Amino acid sequence: MHNRTAHVLLLAATTIACCGSAFAASDAPPDFQTQIAPLLIRRCVECHQEREPSGNLLLTTRDGLLKGGDSGLAVDLKAATESLLLHRVRDGEMPPENQGKSQRLPATEIELLERWIAAGAKWPAKRRLDLFERTNDARAGRDWWSLQSIKRPAIPQISGRVQPANKIDAFVLARLAKQGMTPAPTADKRTRIRRLYYDLIGLPPTREQIARFEKDESPTAWEDAIDRLLASDHYGERWGRYWLDLVRYADTSGYERDQEKPFAWKYRDWVVNALNSDMPYNRFIVEQLAGDEVPERTEQSVIATGFLRLGTWNDEPNDPLDYQYDRLEDLVHTTSSAFLGMTVKCARCHSHKFDPITQEDYYRMGSAFWAGPVAPRGRELLGGPSQGELGFANVLGWSDVGRVPKPLHVLKSGEREHKLQQVIPASLSMLPSIEHVFDPPPPGAKTSHRRLQLARWIANEDNPLTARVLVNRIWQHHFGHGLVRSPNNFGFLADPPTHPKLLDWLAAEFVSGDWTIKRLHKLILTSKTWQQASVHPQFADYQKRDAGNHLLWRAERRRLDAEALRDSMLAVSQELDKTLGGPGFRPTISPEALEGLSKKSAAWKASPLYEQSRRSLYIFSKRGLLPPMMTTFDFCDTTQSSGKRSSTTAPTQALALMNNQFVHKRSKTLARTITESSNDAKAQVVKLWTQVYGREPTSAELRIAVQHVSVQARRFESATLEQIEGRENDDKQRIGKLGNALVLHLRADRGLTADGAGQVKTWMDQSGQNHHASQLAESRQPTLKKDAFGKGKAAVSFDGKGSFLHLAGKILREQECTIIAVVNDLKTSRHRAILSNWNGSAGNSTSSLFLGLTSKNTIRFSDAAANAGQIRDSNKPFVITAINGPGRSAVYQNGRQLFSRNSPLPTRNLSTNWVVGQQGNIGGEYWHGGIAELRVYASALTVAERMSVEQSVAARNGIALIALSDARDEMAASTRSSDELALASLAHVLLNSNEFLYVD
Amino acid sequence: MFPCGQNRREFVWEMGGGFAGLALTSLLAGDGFFARHASAGEVDRELNPLAARKPQFEPRAKSCIFLMMNGAPSQVDTFDFKPELKKHGGKQLPADKTFINSGGRKMGFLTPSWRPFRPGGESGLLVSDYFPKVREHADKLCVLNSCHTDSHAHGSALVAMNTGKTFIGRPSLGSWCVYGLGTENQSLPGYVTILDKRGGPIGGQPNWSSGFMPATYAGTLFRPAGNPILDLQGPKHITQSVQREQLDLLAKLNQTHLDARPGGRELAARINSYELAYRMQTEAPDAVDLTEETERTLKMYGVGKQPTDEYGRNCLIARRLVERGVRFIQLYSGGGHLEETWDAHESIEKNHGRHGAEVDQPIAALLTDLEQRGLLKDTLVVWGGEFGRMPFSEGKNAPGRNHNPYGFSMWLAGGGVKGGMNYGETDEFGFEAVADKVHLHDLHATILHILGLDHELLTYFHQGRKETLTDVGGRVIRDVLA
Repeated sequence: MHNRTAHVLLLAATTIACCGSAFAASDAPPDFQTQIAPLLIRRCVECHQEREPSGNLLLTTRDGLLKGGDSGLAVDLKAATESLLLHRVRDGEMPPENQGKSQRLPATEIELLERWIAAGAKWPAKRRLDLFERTNDARAGRDWWSLQSIKRPAIPQISGRVQPANKIDAFVLARLAKQGMTPAPTADKRTRIRRLYYDLIGLPPTREQIARFEKDESPTAWEDAIDRLLASDHYGERWGRYWLDLVRYADTSGYERDQEKPFAWKYRDWVVNALNSDMPYNRFIVEQLAGDEVPERTEQSVIATGFLRLGTWNDEPNDPLDYQYDRLEDLVHTTSSAFLGMTVKCARCHSHKFDPITQEDYYRMGSAFWAGPVAPRGRELLGGPSQGELGFANVLGWSDVGRVPKPLHVLKSGEREHKLQQVIPASLSMLPSIEHVFDPPPPGAKTSHRRLQLARWIANEDNPLTARVLVNRIWQHHFGHGLVRSPNNFGFLADPPTHPKLLDWLAAEFVSGDWTIKRLHKLILTSKTWQQASVHPQFADYQKRDAGNHLLWRAERRRLDAEALRDSMLAVSQELDKTLGGPGFRPTISPEALEGLSKKSAAWKASPLYEQSRRSLYIFSKRGLLPPMMTTFDFCDTTQSSGKRSSTTAPTQALALMNNQFVHKRSKTLARTITESSNDAKAQVVKLWTQVYGREPTSAELRIAVQHVSVQARRFESATLEQIEGRENDDKQRIGKLGNALVLHLRADRGLTADGAGQVKTWMDQSGQNHHASQLAESRQPTLKKDAFGKGKAAVSFDGKGSFLHLAGKILREQECTIIAVVNDLKTSRHRAILSNWNGSAGNSTSSLFLGLTSKNTIRFSDAAANAGQIRDSNKPFVITAINGPGRSAVYQNGRQLFSRNSPLPTRNLSTNWVVGQQGNIGGEYWHGGIAELRVYASALTVAERMSVEQSVAARNGIALIALSDARDEMAASTRSSDELALASLAHVLLNSNEFLYVD
Repeated sequence: MFPCGQNRREFVWEMGGGFAGLALTSLLAGDGFFARHASAGEVDRELNPLAARKPQFEPRAKSCIFLMMNGAPSQVDTFDFKPELKKHGGKQLPADKTFINSGGRKMGFLTPSWRPFRPGGESGLLVSDYFPKVREHADKLCVLNSCHTDSHAHGSALVAMNTGKTFIGRPSLGSWCVYGLGTENQSLPGYVTILDKRGGPIGGQPNWSSGFMPATYAGTLFRPAGNPILDLQGPKHITQSVQREQLDLLAKLNQTHLDARPGGRELAARINSYELAYRMQTEAPDAVDLTEETERTLKMYGVGKQPTDEYGRNCLIARRLVERGVRFIQLYSGGGHLEETWDAHESIEKNHGRHGAEVDQPIAALLTDLEQRGLLKDTLVVWGGEFGRMPFSEGKNAPGRNHNPYGFSMWLAGGGVKGGMNYGETDEFGFEAVADKVHLHDLHATILHILGLDHELLTYFHQGRKETLTDVGGRVIRDVLA
């Protein structure tokens, strides 16, 4: 970095020629304004300025210069060459060395000073130097480009060709033309529609969606496609994630306890909804910073202030008083990075080294948050306001803890003990035209109203940063790079804009278009610039001239980011659950990856598998444990605002895609569903290609793919034989012992005593434990139906109105058990039970054990698991399994896990009588539907045992099991046909391929 | 011309294509526009982030093994002998010594070391009986007695020892090393973290995180047996030949895809990454396969007997990783909470007796082994916890000690460091560092220096700021360099 000076000079456009080499030969006294003032500002004023001038020497005014400092006169006009200032400069003592490196002035500059002082050190009256007045080669001043007001530039006229309809293209073409370059041709329709889907909703289009667009010949086909996707709820899920990166979104606090931030997900949903409803960006800003202070305050606007609650929070800081200033920094930094693209935090200890941000500015902005709960308070508040202060329950939001906070002082070197002047709450000073001091809160206000004023200052249409920064972000996500390639930094160290006029034109358009983001998307997406191909006929030549594609001569090819990658795999295997919003889910993380936690067992409980096929946006983000699959693919850091993720290529990514269970499961699902629909090898390959790539294979691809499947199938055949034999022996051993644990076994094809009409009087227990079922009251007897579940598949039918059976004896003595039933559910409007021992008067109204459904058709496995998942196709017969084990409780439908918890049910009271088809002795909640089989085991079945039993009861009742559980995948791999495994192998290759991973 | 001896391309990447453009001006001064923007090679570093890079200057060591005593061992019971404690035993710490009483524990009385100190080696360096075998290597140890840190709480102090700051979100020391130097062996991770089986350190992942750098620079959790890293093996039915068949088909499909996209360097790099990953699958398990080690070696490390088996295995693996060119290895002793770590609130003797016995022989064996194989001169070994412990007890007849960030001991060995010496001092009670103080930034600066990196010049441009491991602090402790 130390050579930056020399290079910056060549930047020239906004900088000034400061050092006098060009003037060195002249004998005339140097010009103060153009030669001396810049030199003093560049070299001296940072230390010798009004506030605590170094050595008490002030070099911002002529008086100061002539007065001198602690070391005496700086300038002696009578003996100019002997002036102390010149001595110091010549000796290289001033400017002082920095990090061990001399800052000695170049000879030309020393000579300038000499001639200036010799000529009487002329200094215009009242001229006061200001460190930030002008940009120089070391720092930006208030004249820095990004701080200048936005003036809508004229649209460039393209000579020699038709003026493009889309204004963006005019800017881009004009710039390319200047270089004698032309853009890439428009990409083909397939490429464009795929790019558009990923761009707007983060999901791949299906073959049908591609075909629909390819066939659409109407002139508005492209616009229609854009409109459709912008109207999709998935749009907000895609673009909301970008915002979450910026606001350091996570669901926990970090640090030792890493507490959950309850209801953080409501903020996530607020962002998604705001984007989907195209909330104007200026309102989007105000609600997040001051949704609790706006006149039209609602629960939603308060949820938006979650923005201020998302930071890390340490409940055990080293020094709680210091920590409140660290929290202030987090708030200032996130706010200024996300909305302004400025690193205000750098001014916490001293004025900004590169940008016109004074130290006081930092504290001015900090004062907006100082009224909030930043000071140490009770741990239970997790660093936020109390519910009373917030005004809403179950909301993670922010509010001030009073209307007039204690005074905030500028801190010398950022040290708490060294208070300097008190800060007057105000906007930043770098935009003089809109700079203003914050008003005190209006009468009756409970909060300081500083955040509201800060928010309105940011959202002011005369604040040039706000719109520039936002349109640049939008541009970046459409193109891969922003027009300014450092999206969170528009200061001196920023990348200068590649197309400054285009940036300003877009910003002007955006503001005059009422800050709507969707309009901006459409403007960009309808440009030819966005639609061009990622390859170019003159690629090799252009690549040499502009490898970074700064001139936008082609589209940027992009790797799917972590979310799009995971979501795409679920989408192409048709497993993606597109449910919107709500609490996040915890993906299964391999035990190896959990080893990093200090509290291993308690720290991570995966959600039931059926929740895990939701979009990645909904992954619960635990700061102490981000899912490796996501971080491997460059998921961003969650502790600080992230404007741009990296996009790395590393062998660990290949390992994850080659070996991770998640990817294998998708391959297997693809193979299974495809083999179910066709058994022709070629047709299977075509189907696979269509599903994964959205296109048919070429003949060459078809050939090598079919060959792959056949080679792999032969390998699996020989391998599985060995495995199957080994496993069968294992299984037999295990399952042989199972009979001992069976304590109740009713099956509709055995042991029934029924009258001619089928009324069931007794149903004999086949377990040998004599827990026979009976009903003596005729009006309450269920009915035996011989073909209830298909021809020859009998079931005992319960009417949902009063029929049920008593069971003899106490079924279970210990807590551990497994209930397996084959039933169907014809529904009632009420709860309904299959098996239960509920007896309120015996004291187990909340601690009984039962299995049934609720009025909302969700499973209840006792009150302790009152929402254990939703039954699918409940009117068809299904196998339901409920397990209560020492370390786990779970429910399955047809082998598919619906519910799982890494703990047993709380202790159940098993002392009361049992019934079938009713909720205990409640006299209600009757089962409506058939029961073909009911088993109770006095043990929690192992995976193999459960599957074995499920398979046998399912087969007897003509039910197909669903193979979705972890264990079954693993187990079934050996028994599944080698052809299916071979197709899965091919699917796996496709999911690893560049065609799948990259978007052209 | 370019800072810190980097070549231009790296510079460009590091700067996020930002300020980089300015540096290019003088190279491509023809056209003003191109001069201001990064050009060829902007993506290089993203395509091969771990490629070996030259140090900024001649390094003293190529690798670093950081023996992390999680929970914080007591300095006055291990490496900082304080005879005054005996004299003042039973008295309270003088009132003018102020400190934060972590956790608000009972204020006890000055207590001398629970085990005697004895001189070791020719140097006569004093080491207590908690580390009798390490003492035999006294002449290799450079004990830093004047360490101090910024937090009294485990969570923040661990993160500080690992990343330089008490708050989470910064790249860890190992990340800075692989960012600066890359790694010599592309088939293994460059930065390896091996945890104690009892659990991870408090705070978890942020302790080996790459913070704002790409995840490639994060520590890779390494298990000391079988498949050491995540996703090294797929389902059982995917045998090696099955997978080779897959990769061959993948290569064909990718090649066709690439042919239609001339110049697709990112595509080519990904094709290459699959071959690297394939090699990793055999090389990583090899690194932890101790069957090729001799009986004698295993015995020396205490593998196969308690209580040394686990840490012995980890130390031996660390040596094997160093041999294989891994840049930075961190071995945790102690995991989970309280007495499962070195956090000896209850009893120094019980706690340090237990953990000392687990690690003393393995650490000594590691030093012997590295030396015998000629590796010690190129390997820096660092030992220490996240802070130290108080010289006083936690109440009358309470044999434990509370947290102490004001003064504690760490030691360095190998890697061109002077042996048989103490550097810096705590006061007469071992309570706070008073002479030649070593802040953790200084420690970090010194470690980087030994590896050939300048802590001020090793920068990562992040959000408008040149970030460094040591922020605005840090000094290289030159007195310890041989």
